[in-house]
Amino acid sequence: MSVLQATNISKVYGSKRGIEHKAIDNISLSIEKGEFVGVMGASGSGKTTLLNILSTIDHLSAGTLTINDQEITRLSKGKLAKFRRQEMGFIFQDFNLLDTLTIAENIMLPLTLDGWKVKEMENKLANVANQLGIATILRNRSFEVSGGQMQRAAIARAIIHEPAIIFADEPTGNLDSKSSKQVMEALAHLNKKKKATTLMVSHDPFAASFCERILFIKDGKIFNQIYKGDNRQTFFQEILNVQSMLGGDTDDLQTVRV
Amino acid sequence: MTFRQFAFNNVKRNSRQYMSYFFSCMFSVAVFFIYAVIMFHPEIDGHEFRQSVQRGILSAEIVIFVFSFLFVMYSTGAFVKSRKKEYGLLMTLGISKGKLNRLLITENTIIAVVSIVAGVLVGILFANLFLMSFSQILGLDGSLDFYIAPKAVLITVISYFAMFEINTLFVVWTLRTNAVIDLFRGTRAPKRVPKFSWILSIIGIGLVVAAYYIAWTAELYNIFYRMLPILGLIVPGTYLLYTQFSVAFIDLMKKRKSFYFKQTNLLTISELSYKLKDHARLLFFVTILSAVAFTASGVLYGALKSAETEASAFVPQDMSLLSKGEENILQMDTEVQKVTDRLEEENIDYKSITVDRTQAMFTEDGSERWLDMISYSDYKKLADLNGTEAIEEPGNNEIFVMLPNIVMPQEMNFPESIEIRSENSQQQVRVQKAESVVVNNKHTSFSGVVSDQLYESFASNSQPNERYRTVVFSIDNWTNDAEIIVDSMTRLDRKIISGRDASADFYLTMKNSLSHALFFGLFISVLFFLAAGSILYFKLYQDLDNDTAQYKALYRIGLTVKEMKNVATKQVAYLFFIPFSVAVVHTSFAFKALQNMLESSIILPSVLLISCYLLVYIIYFFFIRGLYISKIKQVM
Repeated sequence: MSVLQATNISKVYGSKRGIEHKAIDNISLSIEKGEFVGVMGASGSGKTTLLNILSTIDHLSAGTLTINDQEITRLSKGKLAKFRRQEMGFIFQDFNLLDTLTIAENIMLPLTLDGWKVKEMENKLANVANQLGIATILRNRSFEVSGGQMQRAAIARAIIHEPAIIFADEPTGNLDSKSSKQVMEALAHLNKKKKATTLMVSHDPFAASFCERILFIKDGKIFNQIYKGDNRQTFFQEILNVQSMLGGDTDDLQTVRV
Repeated sequence: MTFRQFAFNNVKRNSRQYMSYFFSCMFSVAVFFIYAVIMFHPEIDGHEFRQSVQRGILSAEIVIFVFSFLFVMYSTGAFVKSRKKEYGLLMTLGISKGKLNRLLITENTIIAVVSIVAGVLVGILFANLFLMSFSQILGLDGSLDFYIAPKAVLITVISYFAMFEINTLFVVWTLRTNAVIDLFRGTRAPKRVPKFSWILSIIGIGLVVAAYYIAWTAELYNIFYRMLPILGLIVPGTYLLYTQFSVAFIDLMKKRKSFYFKQTNLLTISELSYKLKDHARLLFFVTILSAVAFTASGVLYGALKSAETEASAFVPQDMSLLSKGEENILQMDTEVQKVTDRLEEENIDYKSITVDRTQAMFTEDGSERWLDMISYSDYKKLADLNGTEAIEEPGNNEIFVMLPNIVMPQEMNFPESIEIRSENSQQQVRVQKAESVVVNNKHTSFSGVVSDQLYESFASNSQPNERYRTVVFSIDNWTNDAEIIVDSMTRLDRKIISGRDASADFYLTMKNSLSHALFFGLFISVLFFLAAGSILYFKLYQDLDNDTAQYKALYRIGLTVKEMKNVATKQVAYLFFIPFSVAVVHTSFAFKALQNMLESSIILPSVLLISCYLLVYIIYFFFIRGLYISKIKQVM
């Protein structure tokens, strides 16, 4: 069963008179329930635009998008926002936790906006906090904990309402390698144990190697698609190979090959 | 791009941010300038009889200037703070400290010059209107000519320019102590959890309540002693209310989980707890400003509106003429004729009564005091004319002392029984008190009502110079003809008619002096009020960057635009209307104190006035809310 179905979607930037730029050029893709999909590409390739469109934050120029059997293009702005908070979870590069709230309050925010009962929210909170190993910092403020903890809190916020799909935009971009590993392991764990469907954009091959399938984007088109076999190490090598084939910016290439 | 162009562009491209600051500065320059125009107007300058007016203008100028100084200092400081990051960047790029100071000074000088020029222009535009209304209020014959004294322009430009520069230098000086890294952190340093103390919160409430109690129970004779203690209690009390109690109150709300976690309440309340604490000093400032504005204009307006009733209360008769001694009483009729002729000439309806009084004295605490008596039947006629209720006829050994309207506390303790005596009679009488129906006799300390029989026994034996005669008038709609009435009295011979009192006289004096005061008061009040509003706008604008980033994130996780509007409206509304409400409550106690001193009700004028302010505030609120929301909507 596919959770997300995009057919011939395009995104065109630029004014009517000026030069048009096709950020996304006629892409079709489908994500099945329980999949962990990564999107990679050089900077400027359109990967963030793709994520924004699929996560309904940006408008489509052409094509249809269906998430959980709901055709997104037909929804009004207000309905879309409600749809996002019920059916989607978001993880951002810069965490986007509100520093006026405690970690616990941040995590409960989507449920609060939906008008849940306090008891139920607290049950859910205890549940996700245990899964992500952040039960001890719930009473802290966001700026009092480390980056890895903040991102795990953000993940908790993204999954607390059991969304149909989780969107992660460079979740390890602001983290050191140790925290990156923790965060990616948490995401992979959620994906395995809870069948959490996840779409992640990253330019970090290490983070991407936790995915099961990776789409490579170049100039707004899908350039290549690779699947993970049994071994994450070989998958990592494959990712590097495709990246060098893509000829992206040098910072996308690792100089040391395994 | 030269260095000066860079400074120019900085101002030009920050113009939206500078806008409210600029308008407030311009407004205060304009007001200052208009007052200066009047002060140096050739028809006012140098005329001794208008010294009181000039003094009024001068004090208004000082208030405006001092206030502008504080406002500019606050605004410049806040503005520089909000751009700290930019300065940090410039410093890492290698701008020298001296250059940075020059940049700041240049930028502020541009703002100063622009707002001074704009202020003077706006001032010139409105000066004529102002001069006309000013002449109207002062009752000058013909309007003052439209003339802008060069001195007025000069003094405005010089004093404001100096003020801007001094403030800029001060801000530059305070910026010096910061390291580059502090500049970089700027306003983005993590917000600390607001702290509060229960003890201080309770002290705050206690102070405010105490001030309210003192104001509530104030009377005319003690209000001047109480004014300072009230201020001394209310100012720190309000400060604690904002810095401590507000946080404590929100903390309580947070503890009620079912409420706190109810939809957008979570966002509203948590944001508010930071904003209230962050803005505590600002809100305190705004509250005090608004309270001063409301109270000043309210008290003046209320007093003006009640002038008629007050005049009637202080002067029971619409007009009353008094002669002392047989010789004068004989000539009185011809004098009174002058007044009645004038009234008839103007077709003014009146009723008059002639009342004889006789004088006696008594000893109190070893000192002799004079009083005069009227007979009970005359008293009844007077009460009837005034439309007040008469007392029972006193017994032959009783006197009803008519208390004057302003009673000083020491005069209230009358001995229970006194011996009254004149040249030829004397009598021991019991003292009762009654409301006054006549104007106090200026020759004696008290007036009293006695039985007809007792009066007769004194009057028939009295010496010629112990006799008085009063002619009292009741005039319909006297307020309309107040000027004629006052004028008619000026024709009287002062030797013969020694006591001339009219409500109209009192009314006109009160009205004139109050309308001058109101004129100055309102202008300063409006200035304070606008300043309060622009300070709030300024603060909101400073927070906007942080707020938009936050709403952007919230939008992604599914906050609808409607919910955003809801939260943002509440936050802006709290910032606007919390100080407003506190100021209104403060003011209403000041009104209560005023009410204790006045006869007539000032509820209507005060409600009217506050409603006007509220209306302006609401318009302002919707305007700023619109700006704020549209700015946030851009990222959603």
